[in-house]
This record gives sequence, C-alpha cells and structure tokens, in this order.
Amino acid sequence: MDQIRLRDFRCFREEQTVRLAPLTLLVGENSTGKTSFLALIRALWDVACGKQLPNFKEPPYDLGGFDDIVHRRGGRTTPGDTFAAGCRFSYSGCFFDMDFAKKGTAPFPVRRRLSLGDTWIEDRLDAEHRWRVSYATSNGEWEWDGTPAFESPPSVDNLPADESAGMMPFFLALLLPSRLERNLGITALRGGSAPSDDDWLRIEALVSRSRLGGFGRPSWRPHAAAPVRSRPRRTYDPAQLTRDPEGDYVPMYFAEMSRRSPEEWAVLQRALEQFGKEAGLFDEIAVRSLGKDEVDPFQVQIRKHGSRVKGPYRNLIDVGYGVSQILPILSELLRADAQHRFLLQQPEVHLHPSAQAALGTLLCQIAARDRQLLVETHSDHLLDRVRMDVRDRTTDLTPDDVSILFFERGNLDVRIHSLCLDERGNVLGAPPNYRRFFMDETNRSIGL
Amino acid sequence: MCAILDNDVVHQVFGTRRPAAGLEFFRWVDSGRIHLVVGGKLRRELGANHAFKAWLQQKLNAGQATDIDDAAVDRVTAALVAAGSCRSNDQHVVALAQCSNARLLYSNDADLHHDFKNRMLIARPKGRIYSTLYGGDLQESHRRLLRTNRCGPRS
Repeated sequence: MDQIRLRDFRCFREEQTVRLAPLTLLVGENSTGKTSFLALIRALWDVACGKQLPNFKEPPYDLGGFDDIVHRRGGRTTPGDTFAAGCRFSYSGCFFDMDFAKKGTAPFPVRRRLSLGDTWIEDRLDAEHRWRVSYATSNGEWEWDGTPAFESPPSVDNLPADESAGMMPFFLALLLPSRLERNLGITALRGGSAPSDDDWLRIEALVSRSRLGGFGRPSWRPHAAAPVRSRPRRTYDPAQLTRDPEGDYVPMYFAEMSRRSPEEWAVLQRALEQFGKEAGLFDEIAVRSLGKDEVDPFQVQIRKHGSRVKGPYRNLIDVGYGVSQILPILSELLRADAQHRFLLQQPEVHLHPSAQAALGTLLCQIAARDRQLLVETHSDHLLDRVRMDVRDRTTDLTPDDVSILFFERGNLDVRIHSLCLDERGNVLGAPPNYRRFFMDETNRSIGL
Repeated sequence: MCAILDNDVVHQVFGTRRPAAGLEFFRWVDSGRIHLVVGGKLRRELGANHAFKAWLQQKLNAGQATDIDDAAVDRVTAALVAAGSCRSNDQHVVALAQCSNARLLYSNDADLHHDFKNRMLIARPKGRIYSTLYGGDLQESHRRLLRTNRCGPRS
C-alpha cells in the first residue's frame, strides 16, 4: 500500500489522502488517531487481500463498535452515517475504496470499489438491501443484476469455505467478467447499452492487474504489535506457540527454536546480539534450560561484555525493562519467516535514547529489505536517526522510501500531514505547528 | 521563503541584546515563515554560537530550516575564489545563495552587500539585503523585505 484515503473515521472528519512508504513514521500528540490509523490499515488489508470482514476489535486494537468508529459531528450517529476508507496498491496502482455503515453494532462494508483511472468495478448495498454490482470504463457504466447467482455461485472454486456472506458479491464481481456469459443481466446506466469486448478487456485487465481476484498469503497480513509488551518472568514453561501482539510467546519461540532448529536460532541470535551491541543493551542472548527434558522450565538470559572480561549471564527479569520490552519487536522483525508488513506502536518504549536511535537504524535496514513498516512513535531520537541515515546514505533507503505522517489536532478533528525527506534529510512539507512544542522549549532553554 | 544569516550579525538575532530589527528577523525565522538556509563554511562559523546551534537543530527537525550539502557549497566557493569575482572575502556566503536560491541576506558587511547585489553573482531573483549597518531600529524597509521575500527554486 502506498496511499491511504479516509473520511469520517474516528477523529478524521474531512476526506484525506496520505502517503505510505516502505518506512512510515506516525508522529503527533496523544489521542490524535495514530493507533486508529494503524487499525484501519489492517482492516483494509483484511478486506482487500484477506477476503474477510474487518474486525476493528481484534487485539492489539479495540476501536469499539460502529458508533465509536464513525466520526460524530453532533455527538450522535444517525442511521445514514457512513465512514470511508481506501488504499492504493503500489504494485498495480489500483485503488480499493470502501464505505462502511452500521450493521448490528459493527461496521459493515456497504460499498466497495476497485478502480484504475476511469475503469472500475463496484458493489454496493442499495436501499432494499440488495447488492448492486456495476462496472465502468470511459465508454459507460453498467449495472449487472447478478443477485440470483449469489445463491448458487458459478465455479468460484477458490473462495474459502468460511467466506463471510457479506464479502461474496464483490469478489464474485471480480471473477465474473471472465466467468459468466457476457452482458447477461447487464443494464446501461451511462453510455453504450452494453460493454463492448474492449470494455470487458479493460475490466478484466483491472482485475488481473489488481491481483485481488486471488488471495493474499497469510504471511502478508500485517503484524500488529502492541504498545505494552509482555512482562518478563524469572522462568518460563514450554507452551504452545501462539503469536500475539504483546509477544507473550517470544521466550517460548526462542526455546523451541534453539532446541529444534539450532542453525536457525543461531542466525536469529546473531541478529539479536548485533542490535543488542549497537543499542548498548546486551552482547549475548541465550536460552538456558533448567532440566534435561523439553518440558522442563527455562530462562532467557543476556550477558554484557566488559572491556576485558565478559560479565555473568543475567536473567531477563534482572535487567532493565528496555530489554524485555524490545525483544518481541526484534524477534518479529528479525526472524527468518518475518511478515512483510508491520504496524508498530511505540517500539521505543523503555529504551534509552541511544537505543532508540539504534532502533531507528534497524527500522531503516528492515524497510530496505522489501518490507513495509508503519511505526507510531514519540521518539525524537528514532526519527532523527532515520533522517540522518537517509542523509548520510548509511541505509539503502532513499528519501522517497520514508514518509512522516504528522497527526495535527485542530479543534475536534485531526488532519494528517504527509511530510517527506530530501536527499539532505531536510523535512519537506511541514506545517507551522509541526514540533512547535519542542521549538518553544528550546527557545526557553536558550533564553530566546 | 529562504534567507541567509551572516556570521557578523548572528548575535543580533540570537544574542541577549538584540536590536529591534534583529528581533523582528528572529520572529520571522522562528515562526517558520522564512526558512534559514545553512551549509558549507557558514554553517561551521554559525555553529560556534551555541544558542544558534540548539535552535537550528530544532528547526531542521521541524523542516523550518534547510540544510544544503556542504560539499556542493564548498565546491562553488572554491570556484568563486578561483574566479576572483567577489569584492568581499565571503565567497562561501555567495556560494550558499547560489546553491540554495536564498535571496535575502542579513549582514552588516558592506563588501558582501555589493557582491550580493551583483547580478553577475546573484540573479533571478536578485539579492536583497537586510541590514542594521545604519541603525538597529526596525524600519518599514525591514518589514517589507521580510514580507516580500521569496525563495527561488532549489538547483
């Protein structure tokens, strides 16, 4: 995704378009919608690529029900209220836009549109709660009355068994141009009475280019990390590995990997230790079993090196919180089967400024490996390190690969400013209030 | 909107006893309405002023000052020195203006004023001088310079 559009979503009233890059940093005061923005990105991915209805309450986010999510101008929602969200996929240039309305208490997509230029495919729920599917090119716009087909779908063999009924029309609409007898049930809304072969070719090209007719791999689903991570424990008992946003599973993952796949563990261990050294957190990390069997408890230990001798191994719980709080993030970023997209909330919490800066460098390195990272941060040190790494070319990221989204509160609404960097690390496009607080503090400090 | 602050007046903008014209200049660059540009030898000279240094860091982070590549400025400076086309010995300031397209200069150096107004050195748009050489009071001409200042496209 390289662009996000939204309207009437949480604190974002006006329609806004913001730029995403391989490394996108979300900055701004508390309660300006940064976390809601991350939740929206996962929801968009779930609908567009995961073919599932979005769950705005899935951890680590909990945006509540529709009434909590839609922007409320007068303090109350009305039956016709909707909110809109959309994204552009960088590989295809296609836009995917949705409108959500209230169904029960939850948001439900009532309009979805896939578009590229003036060609689009759309489905929407009409006033009689019937799905209307329409297609358009520069030559016209046509509606397809395909409701009966939804009850006995044509050979839609790649729809998952647990597909939600609400998602069916749109993905059938994507498949239809190539699977149904053409122009059956087609009504013209604008332009020619029926799409020509050229129109169908353009519509098919849109579907094929978007790749939305297929299904996103689970590994492409963004990994969403929580801002509060799991508390360290003195000992851990081996347990089933279930990935979670807080990183509860990480010690078990380390133990399991060190036993079952020592080579893979050694690679991860080296990567962890390299960051540990650069951040000044630790020089070695190890898993120490407290028994001989797999089921015996174990400890995660770290060690610092002195200038001449190596220090003792210390239990994770006996060192500063920074180490245990950053380990889940490091583990997710550095593991061999890492996700392709990350939604990180304040990964720098509990880290010393020098470690925050080192984390900035690591994020640049990961984003340069064809990954996409969206990082909500309050860390000047992290932001500054990214700026300097790009300027000094110590990262493979170019200025275009970094986007800074500044969430600025104005009255009761929030506006997102898309800032970017130039080759000298200069911040471009910043509004006057960007970092006003810091500048006022500095002026006061130096007596200006 | 971009401007250059010469080292000979940095105390008038970031010092403790600022003339009214220096204070007004500070208000404009501090509000972000005018961006200061720095680079090359001038950045190194200005860096000796600790208040300026701390202020500049915040401004760079906020995107309200512009950092020009030192190497590029130094290259142009060397070319100007070799050409011998400047009356002043502040070729690095003229070079910074050429590299950044900043056309407003705050300086009290009369020779540099001459260079900055020399169309063979600074043109499109022409250079303008903000000065307290003849008094630190805030004049309408000062205000007009700040209001009408434009930064040309970056090369």
